Amino acid sequence: MSNIIEMHDVCKSFGDTEVLHAINLAIKEGEVVVVIGPSGSGKSTLIRCMNCLEMISKGTLVVDNIRIPEERRRVRQIRLEVGMVFQQFNLFPHMTALENVAFGPRKARSMGKSKAEEIASDLLAKVGLAEFSNKLPGQLSGGQQQRVAIARALAVNPKVMLFDEPTSALDPEMIGEVLDVMKKIAKESGMTMVVVTHEMGFASQVGDRLIFMDDGYIVEEGKPTEVMKNPQSKRLTEFLGHVKHH
Amino acid sequence: MGFEFSVITDSLPALFAGAKLTWIITLLGIAGGMFFGILAGLGRLAGTEHLGEKPHGLPAYVAMAIRYLSGGYVETIRGTPIIVQAMFIYFAFPMIVKGLTDIERFRIEALTAAVITIVINAGAYIAEIVRGSVMSVNKGLLEAGQSLGISRFQLIVHIIGPIAFRRMIPPLGNQFIISLKDTSLFIVIGVGELTRQGQEIMASNFRALEIWLTVAIMYLIMTTVLAVTLRQVENKMKIF
Repeated sequence: MSNIIEMHDVCKSFGDTEVLHAINLAIKEGEVVVVIGPSGSGKSTLIRCMNCLEMISKGTLVVDNIRIPEERRRVRQIRLEVGMVFQQFNLFPHMTALENVAFGPRKARSMGKSKAEEIASDLLAKVGLAEFSNKLPGQLSGGQQQRVAIARALAVNPKVMLFDEPTSALDPEMIGEVLDVMKKIAKESGMTMVVVTHEMGFASQVGDRLIFMDDGYIVEEGKPTEVMKNPQSKRLTEFLGHVKHH
Repeated sequence: MGFEFSVITDSLPALFAGAKLTWIITLLGIAGGMFFGILAGLGRLAGTEHLGEKPHGLPAYVAMAIRYLSGGYVETIRGTPIIVQAMFIYFAFPMIVKGLTDIERFRIEALTAAVITIVINAGAYIAEIVRGSVMSVNKGLLEAGQSLGISRFQLIVHIIGPIAFRRMIPPLGNQFIISLKDTSLFIVIGVGELTRQGQEIMASNFRALEIWLTVAIMYLIMTTVLAVTLRQVENKMKIF
């Protein structure tokens, strides 16, 4: 399997503060990578660099054979192939669930309205929200909104899906429904996924690889169960201790 | 001198004619003001993160120039009285044209000058309303749009525009009403709008109470129409 995303010595700075230090990382097609780490460790920044919501400061990023920074004019093409799900859902408040999901195919992929809505209906059914098509985001629960957001990202038919703490803003009883949808996508469609999360159960069940970040570095990586069982660093041991207690 | 109701009925035709002119200046003025306001309001945000990705290289300099140009317009207009602007357009501007060209008898109709003044003046204030509303759009929604791979134009038209517009309505209502009342200042360049009609009738019959009461009520009716219309637009969009 070839690499869909590669990072070579990628650094990211905000002003004078460097938050990612010379990251080297390759993600294979079909791989599910789970990124964990304490708050401020750079895990969100890492995946936001992958669809150029943050432009890397140094190094090279290759996504689907497009090289950044050399080909930064092709950022939109990268985004067509890399979907993203956000912690705060970020559904368009003036569009119904169906319109939210159909928006990407219609505008980014220039599809006709009926074809885009057909895709959107199918995806809403897939995330278990067929009967909520005509609801506005404000009329949906957090878990439902996040499932619409997942369908919206999938609708553009990307090769990679990025999840930036998709369950962190949810009430506990709604986390399960969102994780179930994510597991379904990973298992049924073989989608390449990069997931920033604190859900260790999800990591061990679906993850092919676990990455532990701290202070802008990748500190440990490997098979999720092994990394969790035998943490090599003191930081990861501590971190796992904190996560398990919740 | 008691309150004579017949004074009012006698003056109504002239006052209605004035009100009609006030209405025309206002509607043309706010339509043009919306055009310039949206242009300058977005212009002041050109090249900032509020309109999507920040540009690099040459486009960044173009964006900066647009920002300064729009900012200059807004600050100049906000910083000078509307009555001075009207005088400038009606009296001074034709002199500039005559001085710079060979046109001998260049002149601007008073009504045209009035409409231009409202367009330029309202445009500057509307620009700030547009700027504020666009800035208030949640950054996460821009990122959600960008992450789908849409263009900046699509982002502005389909995401930023509709969300910002909803928030513009209350301050726009303010501005439309202010512009309507500002038309009364065109008495100084001789436009026969409502206030001027009132003034002329008053000068011939000295019935200040009846005339100014009627004029005030007519303004109140017109501003109410504006307010109610905008409220209806607002209610239509209330769901989000």
